[in-house]
Amino acid sequence: MRALVLLLALLLAACGPAEDDRTTLTIQRFFGACEAEYGAVTDIAAAQGECGIMTAIINRFEAENPDIRVVENIVFWPGYDQLTAQLASNDAPDLVTMHGSVISDYQARGLIEPMDADLAKIGIAPAGMTEAARAAITIDGRVWGLPIDTWAPLWHINMNLFRKAGLVRGGRPVLPSSPAELIAQAEQFEARTGKPYFVQGAANEYAGFTRNFYTFLMQQNGEPFADPRRADFTTPEAAEALRLFKDIYDRDLTTKNQDYSAAVAGFLKGDGGVFLVGTWMVGDFQAASEAEEGALSGGYAVVPYPQLYARDVTFADGHNWVMPADPDRTAAEHEAALRFLAFFSRHAFDWSRTGHLPVYKAMIDSPRWRALPHRDALAGLATSAAPLPKGVRRQFPIETIVGQESAAAISGAKPIPTALADMERRVNDILKNL
Amino acid sequence: MATALPQQVAPVATHPPRGRRAAGWANALFVLPYLAMFVAMIVVPLAMGMWLSTTKGDLFGVEAHVGLANFTRLFGDPIFLETVGNTFYFVVLTVPALTLIGLGLALVLNTPARWATVLRTIFFASTVLSVTVVTLVWRLVFLPDGGLLAVISEALGKTPIAFLNDPELAMPAIAITTIWWCIGLPMVLFLAALQQVPRELYEAAALDNAGRWTTLRRITLPAISRTFVLVVIIEIILQFQLFGQPQLMTLGGPNNATRPIVLFIYETGWRQWELGYAAAAAQVLFAMILVAAMAQYVVASRKGAQ
Repeated sequence: MRALVLLLALLLAACGPAEDDRTTLTIQRFFGACEAEYGAVTDIAAAQGECGIMTAIINRFEAENPDIRVVENIVFWPGYDQLTAQLASNDAPDLVTMHGSVISDYQARGLIEPMDADLAKIGIAPAGMTEAARAAITIDGRVWGLPIDTWAPLWHINMNLFRKAGLVRGGRPVLPSSPAELIAQAEQFEARTGKPYFVQGAANEYAGFTRNFYTFLMQQNGEPFADPRRADFTTPEAAEALRLFKDIYDRDLTTKNQDYSAAVAGFLKGDGGVFLVGTWMVGDFQAASEAEEGALSGGYAVVPYPQLYARDVTFADGHNWVMPADPDRTAAEHEAALRFLAFFSRHAFDWSRTGHLPVYKAMIDSPRWRALPHRDALAGLATSAAPLPKGVRRQFPIETIVGQESAAAISGAKPIPTALADMERRVNDILKNL
Repeated sequence: MATALPQQVAPVATHPPRGRRAAGWANALFVLPYLAMFVAMIVVPLAMGMWLSTTKGDLFGVEAHVGLANFTRLFGDPIFLETVGNTFYFVVLTVPALTLIGLGLALVLNTPARWATVLRTIFFASTVLSVTVVTLVWRLVFLPDGGLLAVISEALGKTPIAFLNDPELAMPAIAITTIWWCIGLPMVLFLAALQQVPRELYEAAALDNAGRWTTLRRITLPAISRTFVLVVIIEIILQFQLFGQPQLMTLGGPNNATRPIVLFIYETGWRQWELGYAAAAAQVLFAMILVAAMAQYVVASRKGAQ
């Protein structure tokens, strides 16, 4: 009997988890889940797309650092509701992905750690970063994260349809340099191809409206947040930015009623000439252009938003790693987080294959990065990409409001002055109650 | 004698034996676990919500007590007032439809035939699906770019209608989705009630040569009137809490046409980090549900008494 009890005790002990004395590093990120395809991949160069490359980088880090156990929390984009709830319940991850536009909200409440000393310790100098990347992490002269990339909306072009429309010269797309030229070229495109010039994800989707509005407002030297605590949208520049897209909408020069997924699928099957979407789609569309069949086969180009007004600028944001404040984080866990940031920084080139703009000026100037498809055309973003001023808080809900009101104006649900007045009132209501 | 009886009876009525009193307290112990859960999970959060609605703060702390300022701000907020209108519109679109269609289905399927059993299962099946699945299915129906209705429209030579992108049609589209999703519960409740109606009443009606319509009006509907009230109250409470369908199908758009109060509460509390303001909106919603459900209950009770 005693032997049986001993045997059972041994069996029970064997069922328990093995002792793991590795340091646990909890990384929380968006960019999607692709464990089925990349769960065991450590060859970063072989990975493709945001999810694949991020997963491979984390796998490789864990493989090269056997003393660290990485717990990867993959959140549904953008994951801030979950993060906020975690921070409120003292369940902070060690590192988390965060848009530059959101950092100030968490920083203002003391929810993330300053990282000046940490970055210096692992040899990363903010001075070597692009202006947009540095601005994304800098508040009141202090650094609050490690930039992953800068993204901006781009003009993804179906060159096959552009050729048919007579809008290719010297192998390059002919782009407008004024609103009038844009309308003229779009009408020429529509007349010769029978398709709308633009493809846009405009249904159940507001981010695209916001990016277009901010970009063309900035191009007119508009400053909607000259005072970060008070928005000013009732300006001629803001009205002009909406008028341009309303004109495009009214003339049927864009696809309508497509949601984001339908717009991506539509562009891939040749629904229109220019897809207005961000840097993250460069890799996918380039892959489609390399396929033997398909509307983009052998005919894809991508460029920053053309300068239609006084200033060459594109609204931008970016992804960053930040470290949530956690008084219970041990020195070993802190050290593991810094080792991961240093590792990620060493693989910045791999991440740049996603299509996002690298954060290091030296990389943008490097022949290696320039040799990637279309990067020469996108390099100008290093100086023309501009986020909103860092002092503007609640940028995430503000972007939604700006998108909602822009969509209402462009579709004709509201007159432009009413939409701008409503936009200003709603945004200022948020800023007034910070 | 006339005065003696009350003196003899009174002690019995006002002072039960010690054993019975002890048994009464012992019985109360049976409800204690539920009572404790009710207080902890309903009463305390409700009280905390009411307190939060008088504060300014976020999930990380209360910054200040502001009294009724959040409520004043709410009733001057055009977006909130729009969400109140949207929510009422949605309740008007769905509750009568759910009640009447549920009753109709129950009347048709209240038979032991095999086909009725199969149809009952089919009609109830949608209820077990999650809101994510339901909205995904119906988005594929409503999409103007390759959706089911668009394909049918194009086959008939018509231009597809962008139901979810049209301020006039988006809420009716969400209502249709909701009715399809939620019809199982009212149908089952009505079926249960119909099966409780005594057969003898129908036999008597048949002997009196009562027609189907007369039988329905004079026997069936009066017999299930309490269930009718129950279904209406349940549906009012459920449909006032609309959230998942617009969140997943329209994000509250176009032009705020489908933003309900709960979506407003979520966006205000989680996206804008204004917990006190969101809690105030939640109190308004609570009051609206309470008033609507109680009004229905009182009206139905008075009719029953008459």
